[in-house]
Amino acid sequence: MIKVDEHPDQVITVRALRKSFSGRRGKTVEAVRGVDIDVLRGEIFGFLGPNGAGKTTTLRMLTTLLPIGSGTAIVAGQDVAREPARVRARIGYVSQIGGADDLDTGRESLLLQGRLYGGDAASVAARTEELIGLLDLGDFANRRVATYSGGQRRRLDVALGLVHSPHVLFLDEPSTGLDPQNRANLWERIEDLRAAGTTIFLTTHYLDEADALCDRVAIIDHGRIVALGSPSELKREVAGQSVMLSLRDGADAITQATALLEPLPIVRELSALDGDLRLYVEDGGEALPALLRLLDEHHIGLHSINLAEPTLDDVFLRYTGRSLRDTGAGEGPEGAER
Amino acid sequence: MTLARDTLLLARRSLIHALRNPVWLFVGVSTPLLYLALFAPLLKHYIAHGNVLDEFLPGILSLMAFASGSGQGFGTIFELRAGVIERFRVTPASRLAILVAPILASMLMMFVFDALLVAVGAAFGFGVHWLGLLVLAVLLGLLMMMWAAFSIAMALLTKEISAFAAVINGLNLPVLLLAGVLLQISVGPEWMRVLAHFNPLYYVVEASRSLAAGSFGSDHVWQAFAVLVPLCALVLAWATRVFRTAVA
Ligand SMILES: Nc1ncnc2c1ncn2[C@@H]1O[C@H](COP(=O)(O)OP(=O)(O)OP(=O)(O)O)[C@@H](O)[C@H]1O
Ligand SMILES: [Mg+2]
Repeated sequence: MIKVDEHPDQVITVRALRKSFSGRRGKTVEAVRGVDIDVLRGEIFGFLGPNGAGKTTTLRMLTTLLPIGSGTAIVAGQDVAREPARVRARIGYVSQIGGADDLDTGRESLLLQGRLYGGDAASVAARTEELIGLLDLGDFANRRVATYSGGQRRRLDVALGLVHSPHVLFLDEPSTGLDPQNRANLWERIEDLRAAGTTIFLTTHYLDEADALCDRVAIIDHGRIVALGSPSELKREVAGQSVMLSLRDGADAITQATALLEPLPIVRELSALDGDLRLYVEDGGEALPALLRLLDEHHIGLHSINLAEPTLDDVFLRYTGRSLRDTGAGEGPEGAER
Repeated sequence: MTLARDTLLLARRSLIHALRNPVWLFVGVSTPLLYLALFAPLLKHYIAHGNVLDEFLPGILSLMAFASGSGQGFGTIFELRAGVIERFRVTPASRLAILVAPILASMLMMFVFDALLVAVGAAFGFGVHWLGLLVLAVLLGLLMMMWAAFSIAMALLTKEISAFAAVINGLNLPVLLLAGVLLQISVGPEWMRVLAHFNPLYYVVEASRSLAAGSFGSDHVWQAFAVLVPLCALVLAWATRVFRTAVA
């Protein structure tokens, strides 16, 4: 079994974590199927995955909200199943849907939340003002939450998770619904928290967010972690550059082009992706002319061509055989749905 | 003590929410008054002696306690949807406090409406026995707490409004009909009288008439407490358990 004491800097230790839900008509959904996670103190750890991958389910188990199916989870030095109350006192959690109350004002919500964490009236009031400044809630803190815009509400949600200055902070898709400016501001706040020693575990389906913010990323799909490492490590595993070829004439052209390009020594990997061909090449500058010449010789027409450095999406594609974009998640807030 | 502290904090919030909703206050006040105004006159012919309100008003008080208990889960469904329940559950606050605080706030409102109803009833000839009404208040509190905890637990288990409404309304109707709230069960056939003894509301309604008349010695009174106290404790324990585990 795991000995936590061997890793004093280990803040989250998860072994063989599983959870299944019994759905209607006896069908069970295996939401989380054997997840291992180690998060170190002061780290920003990201969970990247498409809708339904099991991100929220994992987070809810780690935050004591959902009984663990099987496996063990140790958070902030405490066993989640055995000492839920101690875990709760040490962690903060911002859920995907938030938790602000329409009938309260933002300030009232913060004051109540602080008191529920055990703070006395004076220190909670001080902390509330501090958070209102930090997350820029001043303009609307005295209004009912029902009147807030999506982004204002999201910032309040984040503030609610921070009232008690937790050692470990869980954020479930924190930047959903934020405009680029507020997103950048939130990222800065998260960096500040890390600098102050807070450990942060966040989920996202924004590749750029995982890339910009996280020290390490676990890619999760269908309840399993399929890849783990720093963003740059993960990208390095996808060698070279990616070329996206969008062909003019549908399925036949794809088959023809695949047969043509796959045997080339400059092409490391090739996959067809509804109407497009994606290939990885060592050196784009060298490969592109050769590819184009070959396609032209065989009269295969092109809509567009795109050469790019690998992104986490390429990592995702490589490990799951699907593109993260195809699963409904986007690259930035434009693709967001709440 | 964290239970008392958390309960107070959360009950205060629920009370403020109730006061911010004037429509709800209006309905709360007008419903029992409508019963008095539009139903009590119909009963006149069925009651041989005494003021009709002596018979009828205690039943309405029991009905209000029951109704305010069963409606509690609707608020829970909304708070579940809004993530508010999770926001509370992730704090170290006492689970029991999260469960009972909104119930206590509703109960306080209920007692205010009850007092209003008694005052109006007294003006129309309802005989007020202070001590009896005080003991009745305890009984009504137990009934409301029991049924509200059940309602909240059902809300947590069904998680969505239509399933919850179906369950709670499906249960309310037989319980109400078999309690003798509007007309006494004793005028009904034998099988009804037997069945009624499995209905907690029946005991409260019977005891409420005795208590309102000031007859503490009546068997109805101790029977009602003997049924309600353990039942309330049992339902609370179960609902707290549901709170701890079944919220998904
Ligand atoms: N309470 C529940 N009952 C039944 N199934 C559930 C429940 N909660 C989650 N699931 C299922 O478990 C799977 C994982 O869900 P989860 O919410 O963890 O995904 P996610 O990675 O957070 O997705 P998203 O990006 O959409 O938030 C999904 O198939 C979901 O339908
Ligand atoms: Mg989720």
